[in-house]
Amino acid sequence: MSGKQRIAASAVYLLLGALAFAFLVPVVMMLSGSFKPEDQVLVQAGRLGHLFAAEFSWFNYRDVFVRVPFARYLFNSAFISLCVVAGGLLVNSLAAYAFARLQWPGRDRLLLLVVALMIIPLEAIAVPLFYEVTLLGWRDTYWVQIIPFVANAFSIYLFYTFFLGLPRELEEAARIDGAGPWRIFFRIVAPNAKPVFATVAILSFLTQWSALLWPLMVTHSETVRPLPLGMATFYSLPPLQWGDIFAFGVMMVTPVLLIFVLFQRWFVQGVATTGVKG
Amino acid sequence: MLHVWAHAGQEAERRVLQAQLERFNQQSGETQLKLTFIPERDYNAQVQAAALAGDLPDLLEFDGPYLYNYIWQQHLIPLEDLLPRALLNDLLPSIVAQGSYAGHLYSVGVYDSGLGLYARQSALQQIGARIPASAGDAWSIDEFNQILGKLAARDSDQAVLDIKLNYTGEWYTYGFSPLLQSAGADLIERRSYRVSVGTINNAAAVSAMQQLQSWIQQGYVDPNLDDAAFTGGRVAMSWVGHWEYERYRNAHKADLLVLPLPDFGQGSRTGQGSWNWGISRGSRHPQVAAQFIEFLMRTDEVLAMCDANGAVPGIKSAVQQSTLYGGQGPLALFAAQLTHGVSVPRPKTPAYPVITTEFQNAFQQIRNGGDVQQALNAAAQKIDQDILDNQGYPFIEQ
Amino acid sequence: MKNTRLAWLFVLPALSGLLCFVLLPFVLSLILSFTNLRLGSPLPLEFVGFKQYQRIFTDPAFLAALRNNSLFALIVVPLQTGLALLMALLVNQPLRGMVIFRSVFFMPVVFPLSLVAVVWILVFAPGPQGLLNQLLETVTLGAWQARDFLHDSAWALAAISLTSIWQGVGFQMVILLAALQGIPHALYEAARVDGANQWQQFVCITLPQLRNAIIFVVLVTTILAFRLFDQVQIMTQGGPNHATTTIIYEAVNSAFGSQQVARAAAMTVVFFIVVLLLTLLQRAVGRQQRVS
Repeated sequence: MSGKQRIAASAVYLLLGALAFAFLVPVVMMLSGSFKPEDQVLVQAGRLGHLFAAEFSWFNYRDVFVRVPFARYLFNSAFISLCVVAGGLLVNSLAAYAFARLQWPGRDRLLLLVVALMIIPLEAIAVPLFYEVTLLGWRDTYWVQIIPFVANAFSIYLFYTFFLGLPRELEEAARIDGAGPWRIFFRIVAPNAKPVFATVAILSFLTQWSALLWPLMVTHSETVRPLPLGMATFYSLPPLQWGDIFAFGVMMVTPVLLIFVLFQRWFVQGVATTGVKG
Repeated sequence: MLHVWAHAGQEAERRVLQAQLERFNQQSGETQLKLTFIPERDYNAQVQAAALAGDLPDLLEFDGPYLYNYIWQQHLIPLEDLLPRALLNDLLPSIVAQGSYAGHLYSVGVYDSGLGLYARQSALQQIGARIPASAGDAWSIDEFNQILGKLAARDSDQAVLDIKLNYTGEWYTYGFSPLLQSAGADLIERRSYRVSVGTINNAAAVSAMQQLQSWIQQGYVDPNLDDAAFTGGRVAMSWVGHWEYERYRNAHKADLLVLPLPDFGQGSRTGQGSWNWGISRGSRHPQVAAQFIEFLMRTDEVLAMCDANGAVPGIKSAVQQSTLYGGQGPLALFAAQLTHGVSVPRPKTPAYPVITTEFQNAFQQIRNGGDVQQALNAAAQKIDQDILDNQGYPFIEQ
Repeated sequence: MKNTRLAWLFVLPALSGLLCFVLLPFVLSLILSFTNLRLGSPLPLEFVGFKQYQRIFTDPAFLAALRNNSLFALIVVPLQTGLALLMALLVNQPLRGMVIFRSVFFMPVVFPLSLVAVVWILVFAPGPQGLLNQLLETVTLGAWQARDFLHDSAWALAAISLTSIWQGVGFQMVILLAALQGIPHALYEAARVDGANQWQQFVCITLPQLRNAIIFVVLVTTILAFRLFDQVQIMTQGGPNHATTTIIYEAVNSAFGSQQVARAAAMTVVFFIVVLLLTLLQRAVGRQQRVS
């Protein structure tokens, strides 16, 4: 490396380091606070030097399990998220394939409808949806937290964009061999669409994992309460203990982080592909 | 199976209620009770959602004056025929007042609340402040301001008062509407409960809230993010209710004083009302539900709960026997405030949810330095509009 | 072609889900916005025409919400996109350890917003003990005066913006990074041969090639900016003095705090119209690019 290049590289590292530091500070605060005894959590929180725990204990983590059924919340969130993701991957990809590759009357108009529906966030329809699920008698169950979210306009659109971009030769070859659309989809298209499946899976999982407003409205039993609601209620449960809240937070984020770390390459590739084509 | 909902309060409270339920289940035999704790912050939202969906539990608690909106929505049944006369006669008048609406008793509270100023005696003695002996003897607002000033002069960060700014929600109406009442104003006029303009935003109200705002702006109030301003000794006084008594006593032992709130002109006023039990209209076992209420209202059960949460017992026999509230007990002030009319109930109207939301909004604006008159005007307007929209909340008897 | 029945089979599950759980409630919301529906009221329902819309457009809180959402979008979208572009450019350098930085910047994206809000409340804690106050005091060598960011109407929206940027920039960085990596090297080679310097290469090659990705990122961020809710609810509750209230926050508060469902419905209809217009605008701008 030439001298000029070395200076440039150092500048890059410096800038990145500073940014990374800023990014990590809240995370480190949460992590270290979760290991501190309660009377030290906030007092030291402002002092940069004390960002790292002087006394290290698992007490807060144990306390979380004592005060709330964290394991149950965790199971609930995992179960609900996985159901939504699994159901969504199937249902939304099938629909997107029909839009992308099949010919049928009304296709283009329905596609426009799907695109318009993408805009509507949950908060805008929460109350009427609440009345709906109440009429159906779904309150305080897992299903009420799963079924309304399986079909997703944004997922359909992501799949659709990706399928459009797939080279047609593979499908053509299969059709010549006599395969019907079902087989083409499951045997050929889907296996070649791993990046978009990964993207949709992860985005959908993240959304469900952090769902707060809807479970608040439709559940009350701890047996079906998911993590974010558990966390919000934990925040209002006297006595207020920041150490416990941090421990709760760390435990809530870790599974998702692990998933991200494991599937990073696919995800980055998948996200990038859709972004570029959008 | 009978479903019971209770708010998730302090740990000790929850343990006592859980134990009470289990003991009742053991004696009762056929119909068993199942208890669900609902987090306090979302309690009203969840009850409202259940009410809309038509699946309220058989027996549930209500947070003070939120009760009236549910009565108005026809969700509760009267209790006077389900409970023994002896119990009804033993209830504190404030409990009866709280649970009655349109001629019937719809709820019963195991305990009532107490609100006051906790203080460290040593800190007050250091500055030579007078210690009020009763609510009639409370500091005037001028005295209070002087005391704040003197305390602040000796305090390194100038913050000498805690008013629980870290709390959210109903606390602000409960804790600070007495300020309005002490100044001669109120949240709404109490004759017809229809008009808030002229009551919540009159000159007395504005000047009272300006006093509060001045304390915050002068730096006398600790933000209390860690909820340890008073227990940690950072402040000399804490404006809060009975639920902090045990924590505060553990922190300061004999140095702890319980004082009335300052007098803003019309006499010291304080809050009342707390969680109360009601039976929903859809319940198939109202008798069993009533039996459980009766069980909870037995003197020793009431005392057990009040020992756990420090609240004022809801029946006279328990007050007399209580070490905290009876006679010369440390919290006798709270009991006295309830029986001698120093405490003012929050407005008994189905419009209460809107009244409290708007007052809370106004409080947040005032606390952040906003114009007091404007904030209170906005609240008054919204409240009156809501009452108009609901045609004055007419009660349709079923 | 013969695909019709099959196509309907493919499409039916998702479509029925969308119709039942998205379209139907939205149409209901639209209808409700013309009534006076209140949560749980035993009074009969009435149609009131445009009264709800009249009311919200004369309500200072709702107008403040419209202003705040626009302001928030104006602050966050360029800042977040600019920062994401900078990070993508840096991380794209052929140096060691870039994967680590990429992970660090992406990490906040997986944090649920409610958790992010809670942690950042402490970062913004008032007084000299607050983390941000401490940092600023150190950096400015004592010139900084401690502020209560979340309760100061001048700073509250900025504080929430900072929180949102922290949480969202990693996602955009990844998109821009991939787009960057998709730019053919040949273009840069040709430019270098023609004597273009680094800056010229950036402006004439990098930016135009990134245009689609940037437009995508800008649109998604703008839509999300108008959906702002979680942080406001947890950190500032719309205050101080409506400095941080948003359309969705006002809507949720109207529905659950003041029990005015119809009013909330009107607000969400306004929200939908605003976002729809923005989406159409983006598609128009995007289409222009493809033509040229």
